[in-house]
Amino acid sequence: MSLIFNHVSFMYDADTNLPSAALQDINLTIEDGGFYGLIGHTGSGKSTLVQHMNGLLKPTHGQVLFDGQDISEKGYDLKSLRSKVGLVFQYPEHQLFEATVFDDVCFGPKNMGLTKSEYELRAFSALEAVGLPHDYFYSSPFDLSGGQKRRVAIAGVLAMKPSILVLDEPTAGLDPRGRDEILDQIKKLHDEEHISIVLVSHSMEDVANYVDKILVMNKGKLIYNDVPSEVFRHVEELEAMGLAAPQVTYITKALRESGLDVDTSATTIKEAADAIAAALRR
Amino acid sequence: MLRDITLGQYYQADSIIHRLDPRVKLIGTFAYIIALFVSKNVWGYLIATIFLVGVIKLSKVPVKFMLKGMKAIAFLIVITVAFNLFLTPGEAWISIWKLTITKEGAKTAGTMALRLAYLIVGSSVMTLTTTPNQLTDALESVLGPLKKLKVPVHEIAMMMSIALRFIPILMDETDKIMKAQIARGASFDSGSIIQRAKSLIPLLVPLFISAFRRANDLAMAMEARCYQGGEKRTKMKPLKYVRTDYIGYIILVIFFAGMIATRYIH
Repeated sequence: MSLIFNHVSFMYDADTNLPSAALQDINLTIEDGGFYGLIGHTGSGKSTLVQHMNGLLKPTHGQVLFDGQDISEKGYDLKSLRSKVGLVFQYPEHQLFEATVFDDVCFGPKNMGLTKSEYELRAFSALEAVGLPHDYFYSSPFDLSGGQKRRVAIAGVLAMKPSILVLDEPTAGLDPRGRDEILDQIKKLHDEEHISIVLVSHSMEDVANYVDKILVMNKGKLIYNDVPSEVFRHVEELEAMGLAAPQVTYITKALRESGLDVDTSATTIKEAADAIAAALRR
Repeated sequence: MLRDITLGQYYQADSIIHRLDPRVKLIGTFAYIIALFVSKNVWGYLIATIFLVGVIKLSKVPVKFMLKGMKAIAFLIVITVAFNLFLTPGEAWISIWKLTITKEGAKTAGTMALRLAYLIVGSSVMTLTTTPNQLTDALESVLGPLKKLKVPVHEIAMMMSIALRFIPILMDETDKIMKAQIARGASFDSGSIIQRAKSLIPLLVPLFISAFRRANDLAMAMEARCYQGGEKRTKMKPLKYVRTDYIGYIILVIFFAGMIATRYIH
């Protein structure tokens, strides 16, 4: 169930005299079981890109293919696409509306036309998958803490059993602990349920710690699409785009410049520690 | 879909009309609207047309923008015309099936459509050339004398400017929540009327909650900065009339007098 972007361009206000290009010639494949990090400065087109993944926006030029089928084609079942490509928006807790947490999570699978027992089962397992304690299942979503609300909102999308889960800044506004918990849950979903993940983020540390591949957007263009160690090799270019490399990259680089022969391709703290230890042993 | 609404939008440009004191524009718009209903014959509309075209030319706002606002109320105009056309009693003119168009009906329908169109275009000139803040400042100043009667003019103006400020924010919010629910399989444009009304719940509940949250945040922020309305509050940019504003008033008076004069032309 791969998702392919074939020369996708998108313009906002295409029919007016002030069109603005939000995406320019994007070529990209989201492979089965992949864990992708999508980074880019504000206004780089990240959000526009993810809205193309489940057909909320349609490309002005080019095609988005899911499972080999063009999603812009007439008669394409967008509803079923949206259950297979789950999109969790920024601050998803703002979309909760039901009286209880459980009912809210049921909303997605219910819309898919499942039977009551089926959608309730799915809601239950989705809430368990995001690690919400059972005590909260029947309380009002508005009584929960920020981090818990966000888990409920993510469960609301998970309950549709998507094969690709796209999360737009799932850690925005959370404290470090809430952030790590959410990211660990997402990692678990990827490893255990084999869901492909696209993680949109501002934080290089988040991205470096979890993803297999990084997609870098700048001014509507896809600049890099590679493994973290390769992408973070381009520190200067990233900084020119208003981004940065993980802190450990700066440390290993600084060590190298001051004469220690450290491998600078490390992107996580553990890798960096190993690299520095190896360099010291030499 | 929501970005198409231009009614009440500001169009950035540098023109005489933009620089005009907002009070002149506010009073002028009122005078213009009254004048439209005062005049009774072709001469009145001729003067109004000249006035309107002149102001639009001076404002440097593309005519396209003005007409875009019209689209939103086209439906209203159509209904008004239809009612007047078919329901005005008088001498029969054309009759199709059970519907009869009278001569009087045709005339009133024409005048009403013209009046409504002129009214909308005229007031959109004001909103397109005046920022919401200027407008509320003007309102506060024009209604100033009512303060003597204990009318909370400043508070009313403040509420108005907050309401205007929140329109685009809430529109953005609606768009976002709508998309989020569509991503969860909601559909807002299919099914029977009852189903559609029900489908609005997932949109309206979060929208109301967010409106309350924002209102609370704003009130808190205002209080934290020791906001106190009304008495003794000064302005950073107090409104001040300059020469062009007086010229504007003179033109307005002449226009208004002309419109009244047309009533006596037969």
